[in-house]
Amino acid sequence: MSIQGLTPTPVSLQQYQTMTEAHDLEQFRLQLRSWLEANCPPSQRKAVVQSEQIWGGRQRQFPSEDARAWFEACRDRGYTAPDWPAEYGGGGLSDDEARVLKKEMKQLGCRPPLYDQGLWMLGPALLVYGTEEQKREHLTAIARGEIRWAQGYSEPGAGSDLASLKTRAEDDGDCFVVNGTKIWTTKADEADWIFCLVRTNDQVPKQQGISFLLIDMESEGVSTSPIPLISGESEFCQTFFDNVRVPKKNLIGELHGGWAVAKELLKHERKMMATVGEMAEKPNLSLVDLARQCVAAEEGGALGSSVLRDRIARHLMREQAIERLAERIFIQGKAGQSDARLPLLMKYLGTSEIQAKDELVLELLGVEGLSMDDPSISESNRKIVKQWAFDKALTIAGGTSEIQLNIIAKRALGMPSAGDKS
Amino acid sequence: MILNEEQQLFHDAMANFFSEHASIDALRRLREEPSKTGFDREVWANLVELGLAGIVVPEEHGGLSFGWLGLGAIAGASGRHLSPTPLLSHIVLAQELLLNCGSAEQVASHLPALLSGGEVWTVAIDGGRFFQGGDDSVNEVAEGRLTGRKVLVPEGEAADYLLLPVRRTDSRLGVFAVPAEAEGVHIEATRMMDGRQYANISFEEFDTSDGEWLEGNSLERGWELTLNRAMIVLAAEMTGSARELLERTVQFLSEREQFGVKLATFQALQHRCAKLYGELELAESAVLGALSAIDHGESEIAAKASLAKAMANDCFTLVSSEAVQLHGGMGVTDEMDVGLFLKRSRVANQLLGTSDWHRNRFAGLAGF
Repeated sequence: MSIQGLTPTPVSLQQYQTMTEAHDLEQFRLQLRSWLEANCPPSQRKAVVQSEQIWGGRQRQFPSEDARAWFEACRDRGYTAPDWPAEYGGGGLSDDEARVLKKEMKQLGCRPPLYDQGLWMLGPALLVYGTEEQKREHLTAIARGEIRWAQGYSEPGAGSDLASLKTRAEDDGDCFVVNGTKIWTTKADEADWIFCLVRTNDQVPKQQGISFLLIDMESEGVSTSPIPLISGESEFCQTFFDNVRVPKKNLIGELHGGWAVAKELLKHERKMMATVGEMAEKPNLSLVDLARQCVAAEEGGALGSSVLRDRIARHLMREQAIERLAERIFIQGKAGQSDARLPLLMKYLGTSEIQAKDELVLELLGVEGLSMDDPSISESNRKIVKQWAFDKALTIAGGTSEIQLNIIAKRALGMPSAGDKS
Repeated sequence: MILNEEQQLFHDAMANFFSEHASIDALRRLREEPSKTGFDREVWANLVELGLAGIVVPEEHGGLSFGWLGLGAIAGASGRHLSPTPLLSHIVLAQELLLNCGSAEQVASHLPALLSGGEVWTVAIDGGRFFQGGDDSVNEVAEGRLTGRKVLVPEGEAADYLLLPVRRTDSRLGVFAVPAEAEGVHIEATRMMDGRQYANISFEEFDTSDGEWLEGNSLERGWELTLNRAMIVLAAEMTGSARELLERTVQFLSEREQFGVKLATFQALQHRCAKLYGELELAESAVLGALSAIDHGESEIAAKASLAKAMANDCFTLVSSEAVQLHGGMGVTDEMDVGLFLKRSRVANQLLGTSDWHRNRFAGLAGF
């Protein structure tokens, strides 16, 4: 600050507002930090392993008393869904405040207080397309961790060409009757409800005959069957619907207007997946430390292999550039100057880089990275191998990288599609 | 990471100016009629008149304090047109080095001539095949005597004044300022494939009383700071060039027909362009992050500068190679501008550090 003569530097109204905002935000940050320090038990500030993630739902079981305390503290403040309105169980935070919360939690290493697909995907779409009644019924239950959701989009015959889906919902008075099957329904066997895309009209172009339905998994005629994956886990299920009666009040958006809801939701799914690295089970060591452990390091900590050093630097730099891109999107949005092309890149770039890192890590482990279940391999290394295999799904689920590139070419670069089918 | 209204207006005015007076056609004319300067002095005078020289210079020194984000945007606009101007050598390298390494008296005595465009200044950095962050290629071999050689000095022949790092007799860093016309400064013009003028400059037992040593407080720090800022601005210029070239390439594919359809309808080509676009926005994001870091206290600026320059190097190299390929036969003709972008990319890649150099520095800064 410079004082020229005795005249204070004049401050414009806009500058004043910015300064006040910054001051308030700093106050918020300080209060938040002491709240987090008081309420997040030390056990909840370590890298989270899968078995200790807190998932909601009717069958909710807390991995530990500390996990319960941390979840309940967040739930009572709406911090499970920080930026949702408080009347629907959220924290009612502004975008800036929610960002500060995220940063502070990251700083302290706080685990996410709740994991749920309703939280990440359905909720944001309901905020846009739900009726007041639907929002009250479902958002609060999601934010409070009472209902756990699964996603019913893909079908055995409808993957990248999602709009060709065939699960039918027929009008039967005050209900729809649903028949068909959904695949890649994440953890459907543990979910309470499922949000589904269903065909309500097959006489029109395919996108125009789809509706968005919420279905209680306890309904008569719903069954699930887990699918074993290359990671040895069964994260995904196939879900079957056999004459399932669904009340019409569970229709989101317009009848036959489900594609718009689906696209809104996909936006959030892709955003979530671009940052999935932050939520994934973290190895205890950073990439650099792992490299130091696996290959000889020189005195002073420089890696012995200059080739490896270059590869790690290249990866870390790309990771930072992706963070800058995310920051740029956020800042543009806040200023009301969004470049709509940029968010289209995030899923493709983010998931590709996670896989690049997985490959580096796997290679570094050498023979210690060649089994997911052999007892001669340490548990932490077996987990890394499983993560490597599991992350192969990242560039497939939620719209494959190839679909993302189609979308980027078409919407960001304006390149025409040959048959115009996307 | 976004421009304020004033920066946007200034950028728009500059972009217009580049497009009208310093376009690729102007570069072609300069290429065909080799002038001593390698840039158009009248264009440069106009740019200075518009206020470009003082854009990041603090107001107390007679500048505009307009911010680095604003300068970066203008560098990007100049990159779009491959405008040959002393923007990097004079406005960033020389002025910043004077401000960061000069004493108050030296700044007061020299800066006005730089800001008014009365003199063109440049900095001689490299001495060998590769950029090394400023090396020991010119040494004070005995008290008051300089010997050594510098290469790839931008605007080295046109400049009125040269700044260069010198290893002093006590092996400390010195920064020496010398009028180009001083006797014993041997300047040999070189024209690189980007069509711009550079010079090799050598000294043989040069008497330092014909120039002056910069006498600021912290020469090492000032030198580092100047280079980091220059890397970031050059990276901004390079992403501007890469963006222009990608747009032209997509445009070409959207017009050219083969097999009865536009080339742009082929998915193989769409995916290549989409990937290039991803690389472009990553590089641009790294550049914008680094520019706004200069404006906000410069924390970890060396790592950010290396991130920006490495990403810009890789992006511009890739985009320009792909652009040639995607233009087919036309891509290898001199008639198309694609080749000019290709050549500029390889020269800019070497200026202020290749990606290898920057990744090596980045890893060192990160402690591995």
